[in-house]
Amino acid sequence: MGIDSVFPRTVFEIGPIAITTTLLTTWLVVAMLSVLAVIVHRRFRVWEPDLWQLTIEYVVEYVENLIADTVGRALPDAVSYLTTMICFIALANLLGVLPLLQAPTSDLNTTMALSLVSLGSTHYYGVRHRGLKAQLLSFFEPVAILLPLNIIGQLSRMFSMALRLFGNVVAGEIIGATMFMLLPALAPLPLNMLGMITGLLQALVFTVLTVVFVVDAMRLDD
Amino acid sequence: MQPEQQLQFAIVTTIVVGAAIVFGTITAAIMEGRAVNRAFDNMARQPSVADRIRGLLFVVLALLESTAIYVLLICLILLFANPFAGMFGL
Repeated sequence: MGIDSVFPRTVFEIGPIAITTTLLTTWLVVAMLSVLAVIVHRRFRVWEPDLWQLTIEYVVEYVENLIADTVGRALPDAVSYLTTMICFIALANLLGVLPLLQAPTSDLNTTMALSLVSLGSTHYYGVRHRGLKAQLLSFFEPVAILLPLNIIGQLSRMFSMALRLFGNVVAGEIIGATMFMLLPALAPLPLNMLGMITGLLQALVFTVLTVVFVVDAMRLDD
Repeated sequence: MQPEQQLQFAIVTTIVVGAAIVFGTITAAIMEGRAVNRAFDNMARQPSVADRIRGLLFVVLALLESTAIYVLLICLILLFANPFAGMFGL
C-alpha cells in the first residue's frame, strides 16, 4: 500500500482496450445507480413511500431548488440530467473511501469525459433553446474577431472542471495513503472523512458550474 | 548519465516542488480567509440571508481551493511523471 496504489492500474485487456481498476469501479457505480433506480421504480408509491424513494425524491428536489436558486426559474428538462450527474459524481467520489476500490474520478479520463458531457450539454440546451444559428453566432459575440478567445474559453472551462475534480479526489486519496504509511491505525480516519466531505462538495460544485454554463448558453437573462 | 547529475536533478525537483506547494497554498489560504471573513461579517450583519450565504460560501471555497489543487497537480507531475526524467536516465 504505497503511493502507487492511488493511480489506476490495468487489470486485463480486451483487444486494444485496457480495462483499468477505475473503469471497473465506474461500471460498479453505474450498476448501483441503475439497480437503485429500477428497484425504486418498481416499489413506487404515492402514499407511504419507503426510505429509498424518499431519498431519491430528496435528491431530485435538492437539484430542483439548486436550479431555481441559480437561474431564478425551473428548468424541467434539465433536472433529470443534472440529478444523474450529481449522483454519479458523489457516489464515484465516495467509493474511493472503501478499501480495495478506487474512485472512478481519480482517473483523469473519467473526469475529462464528465466535463466533455457537461460541455456538450451546454451546447445542446443552447441549441434547443435558441436555435442552431443563434448558438453558432454566439461564438462571434461581441465582435467576430473574438472567435479564438471564445473557443479557448470553452476549452479552458472544460479542462478546469476536469482537473478540479481529478485533483481534489487524487489529493484526498494521496493524503489518505500517506497517512496510512505513517500511522496505519487511526491517522487516516479524520482525513478520509475530510475527503468524503470534499468529494460531496466537488460533486455539488461540478453540478453548479454545469447549471451556470447551461444558463449562460441559454441566455435566459435577455 | 552521471550519478551526480541524477542527484542534482532529484535535489532541484524536490526543492522546486516544496517551494511551489508553499506559495500555492499560501495564496489560496489568504484569499479563502478573505472570502470567509467577508461572508461571516455579512452573516452577522444580516442573519436573515445567512443560510444563502453559507451555501454560496461552500461553493466559492471549493472553487478557490481548486487553485491550490492545480499547484498540487503540477507538483505530482514533477514528482511522479516528470517529462524530463528520461534525459537523466531516471
